Amino acid sequence: MITMTHYLVFSALLFCISIAGIFINRKNILLLLMSIELMLLSVNTNFIVFSHFNNDINGQVFVFFILAVAAAESAIGLAIIVSLHRISNSLEINLINKLRG
Amino acid sequence: MDILTILFYLVASVIIFSAMSLVIVNNTVHAALLLVLIFFNSAILWLMLLAEFLAIVLVLVYVGAVLVLFLFVIMLLDIEYKKNISQKLYLTFSIIISIIMFAELYMVIFYHDFSGTIQPGSVSENGNTYEIGLSLFTNYIFSFEVTAFILLVAIVAAIAINMQEKKRSLRQDPGKQVLENKNSRLKIIRDKKS
Repeated sequence: MITMTHYLVFSALLFCISIAGIFINRKNILLLLMSIELMLLSVNTNFIVFSHFNNDINGQVFVFFILAVAAAESAIGLAIIVSLHRISNSLEINLINKLRG
Repeated sequence: MDILTILFYLVASVIIFSAMSLVIVNNTVHAALLLVLIFFNSAILWLMLLAEFLAIVLVLVYVGAVLVLFLFVIMLLDIEYKKNISQKLYLTFSIIISIIMFAELYMVIFYHDFSGTIQPGSVSENGNTYEIGLSLFTNYIFSFEVTAFILLVAIVAAIAINMQEKKRSLRQDPGKQVLENKNSRLKIIRDKKS
């Protein structure tokens, strides 16, 4: 039988893979944004698992909010990427030091 | 091994392997298509947890809107695929960090004995969508409105970031015309001979 542990281990594995993706993809900021989407997906899976096994609907409502905020975040992120590509003609993270911070 | 267990292992392994290949792939279009695969399989997993509304929302909103947006941006940008020079250092570093994180999470998960099994129809007999709607429009109505406002802000910001002023148009700007004075247009030069 599938227990809660199966889902939690799966979700933890997905989260760790996407953490590794953020470290690896230094050349392409689009892949970094996709890794963030994967992290949000694993967190949402955790929410739904706990909502199911605790018989509580509030976890799924929170997943709904997280989906909406993630959609807004990726839309703004992609807009920033487009304007960044227009300015510097590349997507490398090492070259994004326009503000000299 | 019942059918649900086999389905879980199949779907979870598809998700894990496509996530691994998404992380190390170099082509952005392939990464976006792998993300489509991951979201579809996650929708299957959520359906197994009886969250049918969120599974459908995941497919409609994520695959239908966000990933199409990703593909549009990939199409608009002209990206050349260069091999990452220092990727090997980052690869070992990231593998070490993610293994440490996974070991810690694994210990936490096994310390608390989460051994409940899936029960059919355990959340609600009215249906998942009914329950979510009821909770969303009573307890969480303020958060719902704030979410609508966040989406509006996202629309306006995404347009405002990429708005460019057109310099080709010959339209007159009345504000600039009012601000002009004589000194900015006319320069009197005295002839030295006189």
